[in-house]
Amino acid sequence: MSKSHALATRWLGVGLATVLAVVTLGLGLTGRLGLYINPESAWWAMGMAVVMLIGAVASFALPLGAEEEGHDHGHDDPVAEPVEASTLRQAQGPRTAQGPRTAQGPRTAQVRNAAALVATVTGGVVASGVVLTALVLPPATLSADLAMSRNIGAAPLFAGADAVTLAASGDTTAFGVGEWATVFATATNPETFDGDAVELSGFATPSEDGDFTLTRLVITHCVIDAQPAGLPVVTDGELPETGQWVNVSGTVRATSDGRLVVDAASIEPIDEPGDPYEY
Amino acid sequence: MGVAFVALLFAIDALVPTLYDASLPTRAQDGLTLALSVLIESLPFVVLGVVLSIVVQVWVPPGALERWMPRRAWARRMVLSLLGMFIPVCECGNVPFARGLLMRGFTVPETLTFLIAAPIVNPIVIITTHQAFGFDDGILVARLLGGYAIANLVGWLYSRHPSPDSLLTERFRDTCALRQAQGPGVGARGHWNRTLAQFVIELRAVMPALIIGSALAGAVQVLVPRDTLLAIGSNPALSIVAMIALAMVVSICSNVDSFFALSFASTFTPGSIVAFLLVGPLVDVKMLALMRTTFTWRTLGGIVVVVVLAAFAIGTGVNLLV
Repeated sequence: MSKSHALATRWLGVGLATVLAVVTLGLGLTGRLGLYINPESAWWAMGMAVVMLIGAVASFALPLGAEEEGHDHGHDDPVAEPVEASTLRQAQGPRTAQGPRTAQGPRTAQVRNAAALVATVTGGVVASGVVLTALVLPPATLSADLAMSRNIGAAPLFAGADAVTLAASGDTTAFGVGEWATVFATATNPETFDGDAVELSGFATPSEDGDFTLTRLVITHCVIDAQPAGLPVVTDGELPETGQWVNVSGTVRATSDGRLVVDAASIEPIDEPGDPYEY
Repeated sequence: MGVAFVALLFAIDALVPTLYDASLPTRAQDGLTLALSVLIESLPFVVLGVVLSIVVQVWVPPGALERWMPRRAWARRMVLSLLGMFIPVCECGNVPFARGLLMRGFTVPETLTFLIAAPIVNPIVIITTHQAFGFDDGILVARLLGGYAIANLVGWLYSRHPSPDSLLTERFRDTCALRQAQGPGVGARGHWNRTLAQFVIELRAVMPALIIGSALAGAVQVLVPRDTLLAIGSNPALSIVAMIALAMVVSICSNVDSFFALSFASTFTPGSIVAFLLVGPLVDVKMLALMRTTFTWRTLGGIVVVVVLAAFAIGTGVNLLV
């Protein structure tokens, strides 16, 4: 095995995993892991990242290339130097008995190796690019555009019937936009909530039922499953721009057609909070 | 030197983002954020899967697992499809663990049965699916029994293959041969050297595939309008197709996909929800990229066809019954 191939093997495996472990720990130690996963599972992500780093440091004790002593790399991994596989195949069991390439001519094998080389190098560059970009760029939240594109018009059910029961009992102190969105979408007696005071923060998106929608992304496990929760807001004041974070104080009102809206008494523009998601 | 490498990465992570005020275009940034979230979520399970794979290959004595297995092939597959109940690894970690089973000498159909069943037939998925749906519309029961049935169907189909080992990539076959020749714990390097070697080899196999699969999942999410896929939610047949397509692109971990699917329950048929919960853990883009480290494209194509057709049939059955 050449030194360059051995280095590529280490980088594309242990190297990339180590970078991701460092990114995970960096985010966790600075309190920003919640930008990517639910903070409840932060201990698990950080714990296994530490295990990964221990393994990475230990792997330096293994001489470069020693992991694949006697291993053939002449085909599916074209980054490697071509090595005769016959010795290995003759020595080993049935799993090596099938050799599709043995019936191929040398030209076919060359073409295949060239195509595999391009695929491997491209894949390696793309994978390295993604991971290194994550390392050198600051963390970011999902955009308002993405939140709007994920609005499918279906009722959000983040907290289920519990939220409606709690809201009906008057205990809404810990409610965020997600819980209220569940109540707005599923309450069978809207007048029960008429007059409830709310103070919520989120970003503004266009609305069909109000002057704008106060929106938050709600995460179950990680931001890939983030779903928008939105509350229609009506106001006599100035409307915030789409994507602008605002703090809304007001009252829940039941409309004549049986819907619930937030009647805003004040709308205060704010910076994006450090914890922009609800969980 | 290893410590210096890690320290250097920590220094880059802490300092470089503060040196400039650069950002990506909105869509690219969203795609990167989504991809990174999948990677951060998956990495712990991949590391755990690699560790378990090493344990199976290097530290468990020969015959220790095999003596507990039934002799008949179909019975072995049925037992292996329940192994996920005892291996707390989500689908990303199942791939390195399955590679460990293959290197240990388990057959391809047996390993495929485990690999297909484990993301669904495991305690965490059962609990979260129950939390989301309870026993409403038979979704939980259909998911569990459906996942178990599909896994054994795939295992049975590939057990009929005249040369099951040709379902594996050529490179992986050679890796298996090398490991089987060395035997567990045999060789000058000893157990610890083999542990480190397997750590390097398994991560080399899995990480590029995981990263590319995650990047693909992130890119698809920002490029394919979700409302296009979901515009046909109420049609009994097309809703199943739409949810299968959604499952294959969103790449959500099977531990939590029920909560994601719950939001579609009001507009989509129960059968389409079941199809989503069956297809996603088995053949989404991230999982296919990971499985490609071990199986040929032709094999993956066959698995996708079987899984999608079976999920469609089960989903249709649920729609007819509830």
